[in-house]
Order: sequence, then structure tokens, then C-alpha cells
Amino acid sequence: MFLSVSNLTKSYNTGIITHVLKGVNLEMKRGQIGVILGPSGSGKSTLMNIIGGVDSADSGTVEVDGERITGLNDKQLVEYRRESVGFVFQFYNLVPNLTVAENIEVVSNISRNPLQTDEVLSAVGLFNKKNRFPRELSGGEQQRVSIARAIVKNPKLLLCDEPTGALDLETSRGVLSLLQKVNTQFGTTILMITHNSAIAGMAHAVFRMRDGEIAEVRQNSELIQAERIEW
Amino acid sequence: MALRKRVWRIIKENKGRYIGIFILIFLGSFYFIAASGVGSSMGKLVTDFTEKNKQEDITFKTNKPLENIAALERESGALIDTYRLHDIKVPNGELRLLSPSTKVNIPAVTSGHGLKKPGDILLDPIFCKVHGLKIGDQLKLNGRTFDIVGTVAMPNYVYILKNVYEQYPPKGFGIGLISNADFKAFPKAATVYSAYMKDRENVKAKAANLNRLLSNKGYSLSEWLNAETNARIAMVRGNIEGAKTMGAPVAAAVYLLCCLILGVMIQRIVKSDGVVIGTLYAQGYRRGELVRHYMAIPVLLSAVSGLVGTLLALPVVGPVIGILTSSYNMPVTGLSFPPLSMVLGVLMPMVLLSLSSYVILRRVLKKSAAELMKGDEQKTKVNFLERKLQLERFKFATKFKLREQIRSIPRLLFLLLGVSAASMLLLLGFTVHNSFQVLMDSTGSDRYFPIETTFKEIQHGAAPKGAEPLNAIRSYLKGNEKAEFYVVGLEPNSIGITMRDSNGNNLPKNQVNITYLLAYRLGLKVGDTINIVSKVDGKSYSLKIDGIVQTYFGQYIYMPLEEFNRMTGNAPGSYLGLLSKNKLDIDENLLTGINDFHNLNEMDDTTTSTLTASVVLITIVASLAGAIIIFLVTSMMIEESRSTISLLKIFGYRGKEVAKLILNSSTPVVFIGFWLGLPLMLAVGNTLYGYLGEQINMVMPMIVNPWYVLISFVLIFAVYEVTKWLCGRKLAKISMSEVLKAGTE
Ligand SMILES: Nc1ncnc2c1ncn2[C@@H]1O[C@H](COP(=O)(O)OP(=O)(O)OP(=O)(O)O)[C@@H](O)[C@H]1O
Ligand SMILES: [Mg+2]
Repeated sequence: MFLSVSNLTKSYNTGIITHVLKGVNLEMKRGQIGVILGPSGSGKSTLMNIIGGVDSADSGTVEVDGERITGLNDKQLVEYRRESVGFVFQFYNLVPNLTVAENIEVVSNISRNPLQTDEVLSAVGLFNKKNRFPRELSGGEQQRVSIARAIVKNPKLLLCDEPTGALDLETSRGVLSLLQKVNTQFGTTILMITHNSAIAGMAHAVFRMRDGEIAEVRQNSELIQAERIEW
Repeated sequence: MALRKRVWRIIKENKGRYIGIFILIFLGSFYFIAASGVGSSMGKLVTDFTEKNKQEDITFKTNKPLENIAALERESGALIDTYRLHDIKVPNGELRLLSPSTKVNIPAVTSGHGLKKPGDILLDPIFCKVHGLKIGDQLKLNGRTFDIVGTVAMPNYVYILKNVYEQYPPKGFGIGLISNADFKAFPKAATVYSAYMKDRENVKAKAANLNRLLSNKGYSLSEWLNAETNARIAMVRGNIEGAKTMGAPVAAAVYLLCCLILGVMIQRIVKSDGVVIGTLYAQGYRRGELVRHYMAIPVLLSAVSGLVGTLLALPVVGPVIGILTSSYNMPVTGLSFPPLSMVLGVLMPMVLLSLSSYVILRRVLKKSAAELMKGDEQKTKVNFLERKLQLERFKFATKFKLREQIRSIPRLLFLLLGVSAASMLLLLGFTVHNSFQVLMDSTGSDRYFPIETTFKEIQHGAAPKGAEPLNAIRSYLKGNEKAEFYVVGLEPNSIGITMRDSNGNNLPKNQVNITYLLAYRLGLKVGDTINIVSKVDGKSYSLKIDGIVQTYFGQYIYMPLEEFNRMTGNAPGSYLGLLSKNKLDIDENLLTGINDFHNLNEMDDTTTSTLTASVVLITIVASLAGAIIIFLVTSMMIEESRSTISLLKIFGYRGKEVAKLILNSSTPVVFIGFWLGLPLMLAVGNTLYGYLGEQINMVMPMIVNPWYVLISFVLIFAVYEVTKWLCGRKLAKISMSEVLKAGTE
């Protein structure tokens, strides 16, 4: 398995102890798209953050491409994120005073074998806007930039936390089909969080979380094209 | 009110920054009050002394004693007084004995009591200190014993120079006052006159009148000296003007820097509070209430720091006056604080800072509640410079750093100007110190024959064996009466004075050569033709400059002796002085003086240590100011880039890489700022000393020593590194969750 999570637990102590992850198990093959669905507060982001190496678990293991993430120290985690993971956030998180191209260079700057900035910009359809600043772009365009930024280092694993959460249907479709294209074109494994079960149709694997546990796993044999998603 | 708590929280959260601004404003008002207090106190001391004790307007000697002084006084409207003067060697120094006068230059007894009985003597306190003498001690002069009964200050010897054209008093030199009766023991004493104009209007013209009157009556006048060109009197005035002129501009510069940075900070606070403000508007808060509210920070901050600065500066004035007057001799009767300055010390920072904050506040608060609530204020706008900059060809790190800097232009300006100012201060301290050192070291260094013997009367015929003749007139450049110098005639084959050009080659002595210092002061270069006027008889001559003597000593124009004699109408072979390697055996009665240029003009210890202490103080203040400025900018930059920093960490940037990108972005600005400080320092230094030069016929070029520049550079960058290191810890504290949780709050 490319990604395997087993018995992952995590709790917060804010006076009262909250068990956020109560033994999560999850597996994904290389090159797949996985979608995590679930209600707010069910622990989706927490799980993804641990997989991405930006948060730590209490117990259990996460392995990515044979590397055990849960055993790494802070320094090793930096190298793991640097080499292997791409991030896409709900609110884009572009650096406001850098141009589109420069925002992408933020990542390619530290990658060993980055793709060409112009190449990814063309791939997300924003080549002609590369000298604009983020606030001069629409939300959908900003999210495309953030995807371009995440894929420029050609990551093994692309993590997207509600990438369409702030977008309308039409724009969301564009962003999702871009992710689908990245998946097929570069073979990138993608794990995506969404509130929207309509999106589940484009994923190979769908994980439904409830209250800190994976309540249901579904494998799709037929994938829906992102352009056809309706909600 | 909840909003009030918010303001306090903002201050508490950014303690470091507000403390930094506090210190800057504090330094500004402290300096302003101290400088204006010192300036006005010195001014008052000097005016009190000069007016009450009738400081002379002119001093002069005559070829024969003045007759019927009362009639002369009536005719000229002046008080004319006579006093006696005699220089007498003492172990390790020399004492100039003066007789007390009652009309002009009235002595002020500063401790002990006045002259009462024969054999009493009053000394100047500096002389007492140097020679370890105190009241009650005895002093043997010419075999006679004198009782030291007190210390005295003379209005015509505020700065106790032996010769008016010297820059520093010779070591161990001082003045003493003995009664006219006791002067009988010194039959060789000279008689000197001093005059004080009763009507204080147009003193200069009246002085010229007196000169004419005396000349018409057949007196031949020598050593005619106006108070304003007499360094013994004018030196202290130069210092007062210096303190006064440097007080306000420096403080203003500091305040303006503070305005810049505080403005940026207020803008940030108000912007990030935009939504809150909009909501408050919507709930019926009035604009005025909000303005008042956010103004609390600048008003409070500037009022408190201005007040603290003012209060702490007050007790400093006394000791500073003590230090300043330690090289002068005058009664210190009391301090004076101009009320306007006191008020300004507190109000100026308050008005400036509040005003600049108000302007910024208004811009934000003009918006409607709806606009503000949308939260657009928080979004970073891209400024003109960021948009215009074409950076594609640069490395990413370069682009990133550049953008980080130009993100806020006021912040960038603050850093640049702040570092320039701090560097300027640092360089100024070192350079003034260095210039003094160089001037001291080069004093007399060009004299192969260090002994200069000057006659009272023009001599004719051959010079004694081992000596070279010279002739000289005291003169000035037409139109610039304050810059006095000597035109010196020397034998073309003279070896007594070494003259080299800037390349180290010997200059021919059969031409007109000017010393570098004088050329610098008068702005002359080789090939210039100048008109000089003799101070003795007012005749003017024209000279063409053929060479510049590379020396930091002396203000002279050298020319061949015979040509000099021809030009000035002296018989061939005339000379007024002799240069020699060793002391000549000549009857002292024929001489006005003997100077040993290898043992001249030594700065006394107090001056040197005061200067060193000032340099140390300046270094500390400059480094502190530099540190604060860099800290303020860096911490603001980190604050504004929090989410970017968090993002970089998520993307797998190593701690050092983040630190490099964010913290090192200021390096070029600090670098440029430092080098801007150099010309700035030269400009300020030359203005300052140009002023002093005018007052006391002294030149003080800013001589930059590369080593000191290097030290300053290292110091500024050390301060920068330390500040970066301190801020680096802040950087490490920013967590990845800032981005991960963004939008969830
Ligand atoms: N730092 C923290 N301290 C305490 N509790 C936390 C912390 N971070 C998250 N939690 C809690 O963990 C639970 C899971 O949070 P998480 O962000 O993973 O939910 P989520 O499924 O992503 O929700 P959403 O769909 O709203 O993004 C929540 O109940 C939250 O309150
Ligand atoms: Mg979430």
C-alpha cells in the first residue's frame, strides 16, 4: 500500500480530554484519489495533518511509500514535507505580496526536481496571469494557483483540505477537474477532504468519518468526470 | 469599555515595539531638553559674565603709553582700561600675570577672596588643578613668594590661550592676578589696553572709529584684536551656538522617525481592527469616539516618553555645563531653562506623533461601516513599487527579500533613515575624535627647525648662524575677515619648514604655497589668484597659488622672502622672525616671543578625556538607537509575515531557511543605510565645525579614518546580527497551525 494508516489515535486536553481520533485505519494505493467525508468536528483535518507531517499522533502509525511518518522527529518531518507532500487549503493561503509565478516558486525553490513554473502555470490555465498578485485573481483562480504551487515539486502525495469549500459550483468543477487531471497526468496520489458527498464520485476510495473513526469505506470502480458533478 | 481593554491588550501584546518607540522618543526629548538647557544656560552664564564684568570689545598695544585716557574715552564713547601683563615660567608650565582692572574686564573672584594685601595672588582654577595648588598654598615667582588667596575668572581669558592663534592652551599655562603694586617686581611687564563700548549698538563700527582716532593721534597700534575674532572670548560662544543649532534638528529628526514607525503601527492596528470598527460603527459608535480611542496609544506613549525624557534631562544639564566649562574659566552662577523649550520637549513629540497617527486613522475611519465590515482593510494592498518592480530575472530568495522590504515603504524608509542616522552618529563621534588626533599629531610635524623666534621690530642684515630668516604679516582674504592667517616669506632654500604636496614630493620654495588646511577652509586650489588684506595696515595684495602643502597643521601662505619684502614694501633682507633647530642666544627684550613647535598646543587632559567620554557615550547611544530601529522593523516584518512564515514551515522550509528569507532581507538596507551615514556625517560635521571655525579662526576638517569606518561598520552589523538573533526566536515560535487553522476562527 502506498498510504497506510493504522490504529491512529489523537486526543486534546483542554481541561477535559477530547478524543479526536479513536483508532483510525485507512489504506490507499499509489496513484489513487481518496476522499474523506464527514461532519464538522469528526477529525478529518486532524487526520490529514498527521498524514501530512504537520501534526503528531498519540499512537498508531502512518506509512507513506514505505516510510513511517509517525516515528519521525521534527527535523525529519520537515524533510518529509519538503520532499513528498503537497498542500492545498480551503482558503488558498497564497502569499499576498508575491506574484502568481513567485507564489509557485516558493515551493519549487526548495524542491529537488521541480517542474517548470511555466509548465504548471499552463497546466492550471493561468500562464497569462503569472505576473498578477493574488488579490487580483478570483477565488477559483487563486485555488488553481495554490494547486499549481502544490504540484510544482511533483509530490508523492497531494493533500487537499476542502479545496472547493469557498467556491461556487462552476468554479469548484474547474478546480476538481484540474485535480483529476493532475492525478492522471502526473500520477499523483491525492487525498481530499470535503463536506460534499457529490464529490465522492470522482474518487477511487471514499472514507466516511464519524466521531474520530472511519465509519465506512467505499471503492468506486467507475469514476465520474469532475465536470459532470452536480449538487 | 471593552474597547479600552483592547487598546491595552494591543500594547501588552507588542510590548517590545512600544518600549522601542518609547526609548526613541525618550532619547529625542532628552537630547532636545539637554541641548537647549545647556545652550541657554551657557548662553546666560556667558552673557551675565560678559555684561556684568564688562568684557572687552577690543584689546591692543601701543608703541607709547596712551595719554589722557579720560579725553579719549569721551571722544570714542568707550571705556578704556590699562592692565599689565607678564609671562613667567613656573615648573612644568607658565603663568601669565595680569593686573586687575576696574572698568573693563573686571575680574570675578570665583572662590576664596579678592586681593587684599601685598603678595596676594588669584589663580585660574584650571592652573591650580594642573599644578596641584589650592587656596592657602604659596607660590614662588621670580624669587618672591605669593599667597594664593582665591581663584579668579577674567572676561578676556574665558578660554585661557597663551596666543590667540593657537587652538588649545599649552599644557600647564594659566593666568594669575596680582595687584598693580606687586607688578613692580616685574619691571619687564607689558602694558595692554582694553576697550569696552558704552553704547552697545554698532560696536564694530565704533571699534573701527577708535582705531582711527588713535592712529590720528600718532599712536602705532599692534595686536589689535576684536572680541569676535579673539578665541579667548569667542571660543565659548561657538560652543553655545553649536549646542543651540544642533539641539532642535537632531530631536526633530528622531521625532520624525518615530512618527514614521508609529504611523505604520497605528495603521496596522486600525486595519486589523477594521471589522471591529465597522461593527462598532454599525452599533452607533461615533467616529470621534473611535478616533479618540485609537489615539490613546500615540498620545499616551509620546506624552509619557516626552515627559520622562524632559524630566531626566533636567538634572543632566548641570554636570554637562560643568564639563563644558571645565575647559573655560568663568563663574558658574546658575542654570537657565527656557520655558518654551521645556514645553516643546513634552509637546513636540506629542503633537507630531498624534498628528501623524490622526491622519492615518482618518483615512481608515472615513470608510463606511459596511465597507469596513467586509474586512477589505485587512487584505494586503499591493503598492506602486511592488507592482512596478520587474524581478523575473532574479533568484527566488532575492525576489522574496526585496518584496518583503518594499511591502511597506514607510517601514523601509524608517529602517534606511534610522540606520543612516545611527551610523552617522557613530561615525561622527569617531571622526571628530580622529580629526582632533590627526590635528594634534601633525602640529609642528612639518618643522625641521622647531624654534621660531619673533622680534618686536623688523630686523635687517644677515641672520645668525644656524637660523633662517622669515617675515610675516597677519592677514585675511578680501571679503572674509574672519578667516585669519599668516603670509610668510621664507628663503627659497629654506630647510626649516618641510613642504610636501599630496604625493609626498617636495614643493619648490621659490613659489607661493598654501597649507592644505587654509586652502580647504578658503576653498582654494592651485592656480587661484587671491586678494589678501594685511591686518596690520589694511593694504591689499594679490597672490597666485602655485602649490598646496599637504599638512593638517597651520594656516599659512608661504612665499619667497625677497618677493615678500618687495610686495610689502620692506627693504631687501628684512625679517621679523628666525627659524632654528635650537634656541638662539638673543636678548629677550628684543623679542615678542619664542615658540617651540615641537612642544606646542598640547591638549590638556580634561579636553582629551571629555572628548573620549563623549565618543563612548555617542557610541552607546548610536548602537542603542540602531538596535531599536532594526528591532522595530524586524519585529514588524515578522508580525506582518506570520502566515507566510507559517506557510513556509508547512511547505518544508528548514528553520534556517525561513530565518534567512525573512531576517536577512534587511541586510542590503542596513548596508546602504550605513554608507549613507558617511556623507551625512561629513555634511553635519563640517557644518558644525565650519561654524566653530568662523567663531574662533580654527579649521577642523573631518578627517575620515578607514579603520574607524570599519569599526563603525562592524558595530552596526554586530547590532544587526544580535537583533536578528533575538528576533529569530520569535520566528521559531510561529507555528504551522496559524495557516492550518486560518479561516476557522
Ligand atoms: N488544538 C486543538 N485543541 C483542542 N481541540 C482541538 C484542537 N484542534 C482540533 N480540536 C478538536 O478536534 C476535533 C476535530 O477537529 P478537526 O479540525 O479535525 O475537525 P474537522 O473534521 O476537520 O472539521 P471541519 O469539517 O469543521 O473542518 C474538533 O472537535 C476540534 O474541536
Ligand atoms: Mg477541517
